Amino acid sequence: MPEIVEPTKSYLSVHYELRSAKQVERRMLIDALHTLGEDGFRISDYQYTGMGSIYFVDFVLFHKLLNITDMRSVEYDVEIRRRVRFNKPFTFVKIFINDVADVIPKLSVRKRHLLWMDYDSFLSEKTAIDIVLACSRLTPGSILLVTVDVEPPIRNGNPQKWKEYFDEEVGHYVPPDESFAKSNLPRVNIDVISNVISSATAPRGVEFFPLFSFLYRDGHQMLTMGGMFVAEDEKKRMLESRVLKASYIRTDFGAKPCEIKVPTLTRKERIFLEGSMPCADGWRPRGFELDEDDVRAYREIYRFFPVYAELFL
Amino acid sequence: MKQLANAHPRKRFFLEMFTRDLSLEDCVLDLIDNSVDALHRTRHLDLSPPLLAELEIPKQAAKAKLPSIEVVYTDLEFRITDNCGGIEREDALNEVFSFGHSAGFKGGQLGVYGIGLKRALFKIGKHFRVESKTTGGGFVAELDVDTWAKADEKPEDWTIPLEFIPGVNADAAAGTSIFITRLTDEVKMRIKDKTLEAALHTAIGTTYAVFMDRCVRIRVNGKDVRPMEIPVGESAAVTPGHKNISFENGKVEIKLIATLAARIRGEWSSERAGWYVLCNNRVVLAADKSELTGWNSGMPKFHSKYNGFIGLAFFQSESPGLLPWTTTKRGVNGDSVVFREARVQMLLVARGIISFLNEMYPSDLYEQPQQREIADAIAPSEIRSFATKPSSDFTFARRVSALKPTVRVQFDAKRSDVERIRRHLRKSAWGASRIAESTFNYFLENECPK
Repeated sequence: MPEIVEPTKSYLSVHYELRSAKQVERRMLIDALHTLGEDGFRISDYQYTGMGSIYFVDFVLFHKLLNITDMRSVEYDVEIRRRVRFNKPFTFVKIFINDVADVIPKLSVRKRHLLWMDYDSFLSEKTAIDIVLACSRLTPGSILLVTVDVEPPIRNGNPQKWKEYFDEEVGHYVPPDESFAKSNLPRVNIDVISNVISSATAPRGVEFFPLFSFLYRDGHQMLTMGGMFVAEDEKKRMLESRVLKASYIRTDFGAKPCEIKVPTLTRKERIFLEGSMPCADGWRPRGFELDEDDVRAYREIYRFFPVYAELFL
Repeated sequence: MKQLANAHPRKRFFLEMFTRDLSLEDCVLDLIDNSVDALHRTRHLDLSPPLLAELEIPKQAAKAKLPSIEVVYTDLEFRITDNCGGIEREDALNEVFSFGHSAGFKGGQLGVYGIGLKRALFKIGKHFRVESKTTGGGFVAELDVDTWAKADEKPEDWTIPLEFIPGVNADAAAGTSIFITRLTDEVKMRIKDKTLEAALHTAIGTTYAVFMDRCVRIRVNGKDVRPMEIPVGESAAVTPGHKNISFENGKVEIKLIATLAARIRGEWSSERAGWYVLCNNRVVLAADKSELTGWNSGMPKFHSKYNGFIGLAFFQSESPGLLPWTTTKRGVNGDSVVFREARVQMLLVARGIISFLNEMYPSDLYEQPQQREIADAIAPSEIRSFATKPSSDFTFARRVSALKPTVRVQFDAKRSDVERIRRHLRKSAWGASRIAESTFNYFLENECPK
């Protein structure tokens, strides 16, 4: 029998604050939300619902940098419920020890939401249902983010086995002719999530406006997709927003995702590179060896590169 | 040069194609719908308020006084007779026999398309006689279908002869009788099969479950049809999911209810579980577990652990054409915009029950979740009780202590295998459970360390 890979209890293995690619992603999201805030979306009035685990990194950042003060964290793991409550970072964070699928139908229809379903597991029937519920409930102007693990869902498997996994879990949403080669699994996940969102949103008088499609890797390769539910008014404002100019924005899930690569650099190298940013295409430092790819990757992320000294908030 | 292509209707189309996808049950229900609509026209029976809560269930004696619809068949004849008020001559001349209604025709609340009666007549037999009497007068329409079908040249061929006959003196005596003879082979075969009667009882009892015996009695071959009970459950520990919404600027009102089922003889019935969709209180979909109502598409795939799920979606409108039923009214048009939008809300209303049932049947056999106690205490309730309740989310009184952080691990192992491990460990005094625990801990430490 093929072995289904258990979802990682990532809170046990990796210290959240030290995952640099994830941190770059968070900072890009904050950058985008900040710009949206300047362009008429009152992000500070949004209600944030996330899966804060025991670290609450996103909660701290979203509160301190975006001034969001209405927050709830959903934790499914009953075993750490006291730990989650103990680590609650601010008074206003409400903790729900529950399945996110039970929290979504009760999200207020009088608020705009920022909902981040930050799974550390693979896309499954369950996660697809959660996304459908979110697409059914969230008000226009609300932002949905979904993160999933896009590694092969079955250890020691092969493309045929992975196809069987996807057919079994989310068969409905898998496009015909999809390749299940390992290198294409991120694409499979993007296509499936994109189909889940469009099919769940179509019956409503709102549209889903894609904004984010990130691929990154701190251990496992992860995918974050996101965007805003827009009615006519929000769509107009969105089309005029400067957020669309940011290099990490993807308004089409069919496009290549924004790949976050964090090159390994020493502090001295980094300070040197920073002085030359933004650099022209093809530029390389003369004083030390560094691939053009790494330079390009650095150019994409240097504004968001975490400085750990300031990260222990 | 422009030419005009012939696009005339042909009688054959209506006689052969039109009736093809229809079952005999569909036909009988269509004929009953016409009788119920007569009640709407002549006695102002209003089927649109949700759940008809104000209609009391009459006592046994009073039931006998309700208007009635009688379906009787032999292998030679099919007959449906009612005292539901009859058809006005004016309507008989202009609407009843035409294919499709004219714009603005206010027929009733169950009749939608203006095809049901004709389709049923053609499907069942080759000769029919429709006789109807109101206090304003009466008429008889009699037709030999084969003869009628032969003449198909001019618009006048598309008429049906009516003979006016005297009406009745009292409202209570007004009604319609339909006799169909020269039955088609399909119908003869169904009648020969003695299970037809039970099938009709089920179809009628299901379809009119909400208002049968409250505003009309229906009998098949002299036997009263019993309304199906939708096993809605109730308990002090549970608040059902309940939501009212309106579409098309209020022209379509929708009431959604999702709750736990009542148990039948101590068990949840898989047959009765699922979504019920009603249009103007007529059940068009019963105990649905398919993608149409969201299973495996926003809800999980249906599984026996969801046998305790009951969902009701009431669609109500004064204009029945706006409701999402199919032409047979025994299904939902899944592409209907109103239905699609409603389904989004159905998923949300259903969610609480799905989670409740998920937690009630954990993958570990030895758990005793609190949900089981609650389910055991569920008592049957009446769907009418929802008519006046405000919107609510499904909730239940959860005990925090019910969230246990440990699970019990228990399994059978071969004595010889346990003995082998015991010898290997050199712990001759250890019992089987101590040995099992040590192997579990060994695996934990060596194979999946923190």
